[in-house]
Amino acid sequence: MHNMILYLAEAAPEGRVFGLDQQTLISMLIQLLNGVILAVALGFILYKPLRNFMQKRTDRIQGKIDNVEATMAKAKELIAEYNEKLSQIEITSQEIIEEARQKAAEESRAIIESAKQEAQEIRARTLESIEDDKRRLKEEARLYIIELAFLIAQKYVAQNIDEETQDRLFEEAVTELEEAQWQH
Amino acid sequence: MSLNVDNIWVWNIFGVEVWITETIVNSWIIMAVLIALAIFIRIKMRKFKEIPTGFQNLVEAGIEMFHNFAKNTLGEKLLYISPWFFAIFVFILSSSLFSIFGLRAPTADFATTGAFAIATFVLMIVLGTRHKKGAYIKSYFEPHFIFFPLNLIGELAKPVSLSFRLFGNMLSGTIILTLYYSLTPIFVQIGIPAFFHAFFDVFFGAIQTYIFVIISQMYVKTAAD
Repeated sequence: MHNMILYLAEAAPEGRVFGLDQQTLISMLIQLLNGVILAVALGFILYKPLRNFMQKRTDRIQGKIDNVEATMAKAKELIAEYNEKLSQIEITSQEIIEEARQKAAEESRAIIESAKQEAQEIRARTLESIEDDKRRLKEEARLYIIELAFLIAQKYVAQNIDEETQDRLFEEAVTELEEAQWQH
Repeated sequence: MSLNVDNIWVWNIFGVEVWITETIVNSWIIMAVLIALAIFIRIKMRKFKEIPTGFQNLVEAGIEMFHNFAKNTLGEKLLYISPWFFAIFVFILSSSLFSIFGLRAPTADFATTGAFAIATFVLMIVLGTRHKKGAYIKSYFEPHFIFFPLNLIGELAKPVSLSFRLFGNMLSGTIILTLYYSLTPIFVQIGIPAFFHAFFDVFFGAIQTYIFVIISQMYVKTAAD
């Protein structure tokens, strides 16, 4: 290999700016090879490892973001669920209060009704008692009047008629009195 | 600084005379520096943290920027060839930047730009055939088979225009700077050329690198997508 490559520094031809010949083609091939070597070297040493490093970090951060977003979504779901439960509790409590209110109203109505009924009964009983008292007082008054009339008559008769006539008159008077005044 | 691409050595390989030009040697120097830098970054990468700071930030920003650029131009499907474009992007940019230090830019030689343009052309054919199968070959005969010569010329014009655009732009900067150094007295060759280098090597270099890579990517994407 060493023998095949001859170092000819002395025989180097004059340089040039531009030329389209075999040497340009050879230089292009060498430059192409240089480019490929550089691309492979930079790709393997720098570009790909650094991109992998950055991509892994991006994935890690993205993973964390996704995790946080998932947790947030779950938290939001829970909040919505609890809000739903709270509103359900609110509705239930409203229903219980309404039910209690209705029950209380019904009970109060029943109590008032019962009180009214009791009052009616008391009134009826009182009226009945008044009627009884009235009757009793009338009876007492009648007996008193009878007794009084009897005494008056007794005194009058004692002065004017005998005992037999007196009794007869008394009996007639009482009968008339009973028929005439206490019939109704 | 000379306009010519000097020949450093002449090798005889299997009876074929091979000129090892200044361009090739400078390319090797640039490649060596880039590979050394890549190895240095790779070693540093072992200590890279979850939250980047300082040097890590710089490296990651560079790679991320290029990756996004390649992703936007090539698309997800062709992203696997992005290391190639990364290499030529870094190489072309470094070529321009190294010329600040008096190294003749390898991109100011048609051998370099032609080689990269040929690579783009080969990628167009290979990826076009791989992804579009017969439809890619058929596209040369559309809308009618008599258009084949026109289509072929149109496709061949792509690497030609690509290579000559970069070569012309880089060579123009080299010519202007060479003329300046050749024609001006020594006392104006200190300080003032820095502006020319900043413009032709840094600014023009960066723009031409971007243009070459984005057009190459678009050609490949058009062929394969």
